[in-house]
Amino acid sequence: MKYEELEDRMDQNLVHVRYNVEIEGPAIKPEEDDDVISILPTKEPFKSIALAVLYEDRDASLNNVQKALNDGISPIEIINDGLMKGMDAVNVLYTKGFYFLPDLMLAGDGMMEGVKECEKVLGHKSETKGTAVSFVAEGDPHDIGKNLVVMFLRAGGYEAIDMGRDVPTTEVVKAVKEYKPILLTGTALMTTTMTVFPKVVAALQKEGLEVPAIGCGGGAVRKDFVESFPMSVYGVEAYHAPRLADAIVKDHKTWKDIRKEYTNIVGEFVSEYS
Amino acid sequence: MKRFTKMAYKDPDEMVFGRAKYPTSQRWNTQIGAGYVVPEIKVAPVEGSEESKEQMVSECRNITQSACERAVSIGLPAFMLEQEHIFQQTNNPGWTADCTQAQAEILERYHDEYDIRVSLMATPADIRIEERHPGLRGSDYDNKVMESIEASAANGASCVSIETMGGKSVSDYGIARGDPKAILFGIGVLGSIDMEYMWKRIVDVCKKYDCRPAGDTDCAQANTAMFMAGGLLDKDCSHTLAALTRAIAGARSLVAVECGAIGPLKDCGYENPIIKSISGVPICMEGKNAVCAHSDLMGNLTASVCDVWSNESVYHRQEMGGTTPEVWLQATGYEAALMNTAHQTGQEKTLRDLYTLTDKYRDPQALVLAYDNAHRIGEAIVKYGKNPYLRSRAAALEAGAIINEAVDAKKMYLTRFERDSLDSALKIFEELPTDSEQFIDECLRKYSRKIAEFDPKSYEL
Repeated sequence: MKYEELEDRMDQNLVHVRYNVEIEGPAIKPEEDDDVISILPTKEPFKSIALAVLYEDRDASLNNVQKALNDGISPIEIINDGLMKGMDAVNVLYTKGFYFLPDLMLAGDGMMEGVKECEKVLGHKSETKGTAVSFVAEGDPHDIGKNLVVMFLRAGGYEAIDMGRDVPTTEVVKAVKEYKPILLTGTALMTTTMTVFPKVVAALQKEGLEVPAIGCGGGAVRKDFVESFPMSVYGVEAYHAPRLADAIVKDHKTWKDIRKEYTNIVGEFVSEYS
Repeated sequence: MKRFTKMAYKDPDEMVFGRAKYPTSQRWNTQIGAGYVVPEIKVAPVEGSEESKEQMVSECRNITQSACERAVSIGLPAFMLEQEHIFQQTNNPGWTADCTQAQAEILERYHDEYDIRVSLMATPADIRIEERHPGLRGSDYDNKVMESIEASAANGASCVSIETMGGKSVSDYGIARGDPKAILFGIGVLGSIDMEYMWKRIVDVCKKYDCRPAGDTDCAQANTAMFMAGGLLDKDCSHTLAALTRAIAGARSLVAVECGAIGPLKDCGYENPIIKSISGVPICMEGKNAVCAHSDLMGNLTASVCDVWSNESVYHRQEMGGTTPEVWLQATGYEAALMNTAHQTGQEKTLRDLYTLTDKYRDPQALVLAYDNAHRIGEAIVKYGKNPYLRSRAAALEAGAIINEAVDAKKMYLTRFERDSLDSALKIFEELPTDSEQFIDECLRKYSRKIAEFDPKSYEL
């Protein structure tokens, strides 16, 4: 029997189901979502600034921020009541599955563009919730996971120092000394590069340094391995990073607490920690 | 350098697993694509083995010994062992030499004793770092990669392959942001340029030894899109955009063959059916027996025109059924046995079609790689064969047309995210300039500014 005839005889639903299509609800405008409504500012110019972030419009974001600055609005207010609110709404839609990673990345770009403009007026870096340092293990060139972690941390209101990929342990130690991060994140794709993580811990301990937690994650990284040495936490998803950082900053959680309370801290079921 | 402007296969129905238009012969009496499918086993060294050369050699020896033992104990007529190098191996070509030699010795011993057909594919890692001076070309890392290729070829590898990373800085930016232009530029243009730089040298090295230049996959780019796209419910990358990315990868990975690679093209390249349709070289593929490494949405479909059937990769460890080299070679070995039985009984086209139909409409990424559609994308590529940019663009447009036709026929169903991103990408691709230089100039202006790691000098741009 020919290929086309075979194909026409098939009932696809008995072979596979496109569940992503099956479960899709009606389309709504992002600003009409109930949770987004509760986050978005109602007053101008903050509403427009937040909406530009929500709509991932980098140019509009920049224009709105410049206009507000020209009108004498405080750059701090623009960041906290406009840009960050827009990003909070984006995070909510991402968590609910309405927004996707590209939405987050583009909204983050728009937000950062606005923040930079505000910082020009401020004359210094804007205040953040804290500083995190992110690196890819020495010998590992795969950095997309680290890039996501950095983006999520920045979108979550943290300064994220991006050390790049294939970073020697000595450089990580130097960065910890310099920035005193509230969170250090390390990523690796391979089993034979994740072995760098305990070496980083040993090097920090040798220098008498400590960080509240080192979030370790990436393709081949395993929880049992990460928990075989101190100071570390196995990070499951890149978007968990700012939630872990919040737990450290707001609730003074340590790596020991996070290991026990990971699921509560990130606010969702995580099979690795169940 | 020759460019493909004609198809090796005039009719997609000629394509089938285990048979390639241009089979390759290797040492130890092994042929690939010559009428039978060869199972492949690949195992990642255990953590800690990277601490010293002695440990790494011992690890490689153990993996090889385990695979050989299981192969003869279940009666496999042939198998391929691939060793994907870790950073420390490629960065220390002396390690590469000793590891390859140890593996080749064991394989040869089993070949001599049992007459089993064996093959060793060595895959040095592309450890070059674009953003670190002097970039992708002429750095110490670049030199180490080439030295490791030579150490592999000189010490017994049947063939060498690699997964080059050229253009990854730009394509990663594009994949994460859903930017089709960046993906096309990163893979179709930058990836193709970098492959030419790497593959002319790799082929020259292989010519000095009894070692075949096998192939290069777009693991660093198209597999990043596929990995990010994930399962049906994941939300990091649109599956339609991932499908177009794969089609573009077909135009890119073809460059290795144009430089002289003869296959089997390496397994991570899900784009390989497109390249087989164009060039006729044999291909490695992975799918349902690579669940140890990652999930995909085309576990059977990928077997339909393979010549080597792989497990992709697995940690070296103990499972209930033995060590992972034993267990996963057994899995790929039995699947290859099914395909070879189909050949022997004249049922190979039926099995090919069944493999294809189980997954063809499971996901747009599978749809574009069904052998008939892969052939269509191949035809689009060769129409513009001489120009890497135009043929990549043509591949993406053809993949988009394939998906749209299946949607219209109510065989493929898309989510809004998939629908919107496909429409948006096709609109962008259609409006792009037809002049390669103009496209490159536009992209250089746009992405040099936006992507800190992107270094045009690494591509002589």
